[in-house]
Amino acid sequence: MRILSRKVPGRLTLALATLMMLSPIASAELVIIVHPGGPDSITRQQVRDIYLNRSSQMPDGQRAVAFELAPGNSMRDEFNDLITERSDAWLKAFWSRQVLTGKGQPPTEMSSASGMKSVVSSTLGAIGYLDSTLVDDSVKVALTPQP
Amino acid sequence: MKYSLFRFRKSTPAILPVTLLASSLSLPAFSQDQQQRLDQMEERLNTMQKQMTESALEKVRFNGFFSTGYTRATNDAGYDDATEQSDLQTLSLFGLQGTFALGRNTDAVLQLVSRGNEDWDTELEWGYLRHQFRTGTEVRAGKMRLPLFMESETLEIGYGQTWARPPEAVYDPVPVRSYLGGDLAHTFNFDSSSLQTRLFAGHLDDEADSLGTVVDVELRNLNGLTANWTNYLWTFRGVYARAESSVGSVGGPVDLGQDEKAEFMGLGLSYDDGAWLLMSELTRIEVDGEFQDTDSAYITVGRRISEVTPYLTASWIESQDNYERDGTPLEVLDVRRQAYSLGFRWDMMPSVAMKFDWTHARGFSSTTGGLTGNQQKVLNGNPGDVSDTTDLYTIRLDAAF
Repeated sequence: MRILSRKVPGRLTLALATLMMLSPIASAELVIIVHPGGPDSITRQQVRDIYLNRSSQMPDGQRAVAFELAPGNSMRDEFNDLITERSDAWLKAFWSRQVLTGKGQPPTEMSSASGMKSVVSSTLGAIGYLDSTLVDDSVKVALTPQP
Repeated sequence: MKYSLFRFRKSTPAILPVTLLASSLSLPAFSQDQQQRLDQMEERLNTMQKQMTESALEKVRFNGFFSTGYTRATNDAGYDDATEQSDLQTLSLFGLQGTFALGRNTDAVLQLVSRGNEDWDTELEWGYLRHQFRTGTEVRAGKMRLPLFMESETLEIGYGQTWARPPEAVYDPVPVRSYLGGDLAHTFNFDSSSLQTRLFAGHLDDEADSLGTVVDVELRNLNGLTANWTNYLWTFRGVYARAESSVGSVGGPVDLGQDEKAEFMGLGLSYDDGAWLLMSELTRIEVDGEFQDTDSAYITVGRRISEVTPYLTASWIESQDNYERDGTPLEVLDVRRQAYSLGFRWDMMPSVAMKFDWTHARGFSSTTGGLTGNQQKVLNGNPGDVSDTTDLYTIRLDAAF
């Protein structure tokens, strides 16, 4: 009993400490990332224009190369909620029309967050999005869209 | 791009042996850190492979579209050529589009389409060269879609449309689709809107079904212009085109006039906020001679509710030159008709949509309603058998890839 009672607060402290460490991860948010040589900031409207084929230029004049995460990824849903404001079904039909009328190509789909990070870090003019907790200095955060 | 390729090329020989080596080792012995590094390397390999495939794809790109469906009418009036015993052929088509990059801003576009109602004969629907200038100007030459309607460019791409079929009142009176010639387009980009203007000119020589036979349709000295303004929510469109038109042949079974002055005028409007959609077009055709001068319009309202988009369409067509055919057998071409459609599109899986549609047509007045079955009945001497309403049920499956 004495041993246990001594251990319980210890476990609690450990659990609390773990929770405190985890809390920044729990509040993971969507960030718009660009190539390290890309613009320092970009507006939500500019990102939206690139992802809805209304513009093909980054704010610094570079030709934009857009990447997106595969359907089913929670960051993709978040991106579509906050930025494009369009459903996956709408985007599919929209891009099939754009492609078949020669107006443009959809963003290249990356199957994972690490794939997204490495392709954005190595492609000039690249723009993509990530969970903020996965960002490191190989890419530049250009926007943290607020809901 | 050069930079990234160089980097990947340099790291290729290093990654492969490491990955091979790693997979031959027992993984549990790896620390989490090493496992993470391995995952990262694998990701980079994937990325590299993707980029290599993409650069190969940038030169040649293939896309396709497919539709099939079943239509059944309550009588043989012939709305959209449907009867009580419809088959699967009419709505079935397969299209393949290839885009070949010839330079950074120049490409060749080919579109081949096989249609079920043409015995699946493959036809070159589009075949043009395009050059885009950095200034926003684009020139094209070759065989292209006649840009008369808002949906002209996506006319046969069912997956790109909400409807089970484009409203017949507006889309059917012009019996041809693609012409041979050239066009020049310029896009003016404003703050949050854009205006595209296009001038086109060429020649069209094709065949069309009319009064139960196949007739030649020729549009000579065809030219026109379109203007399209959009703020990406609302779109307004205007079009004017003219030509010298010959439909049928002198002494042939059908002759609806040779080298007659023909004009086309159209206005379009659309709204799409991702949830609500609205589309409307108003068109007028004026052709000297017996070919029908028609005014037509439609309006569609739809609402996207996750994967399902119910829609309502009302359309109307009326010929304005019935006096020119008075007392001749060509009177069967007189048209007056209203149609109401209720349907929905269901995005059942990525790139595949299914559509269900009920269309009711009425208000033919003393005409055949412009419906092929009714026209045949009159020409066969049975005007009493003409139907004065018709209902059409359609199930359609569309895909794009």
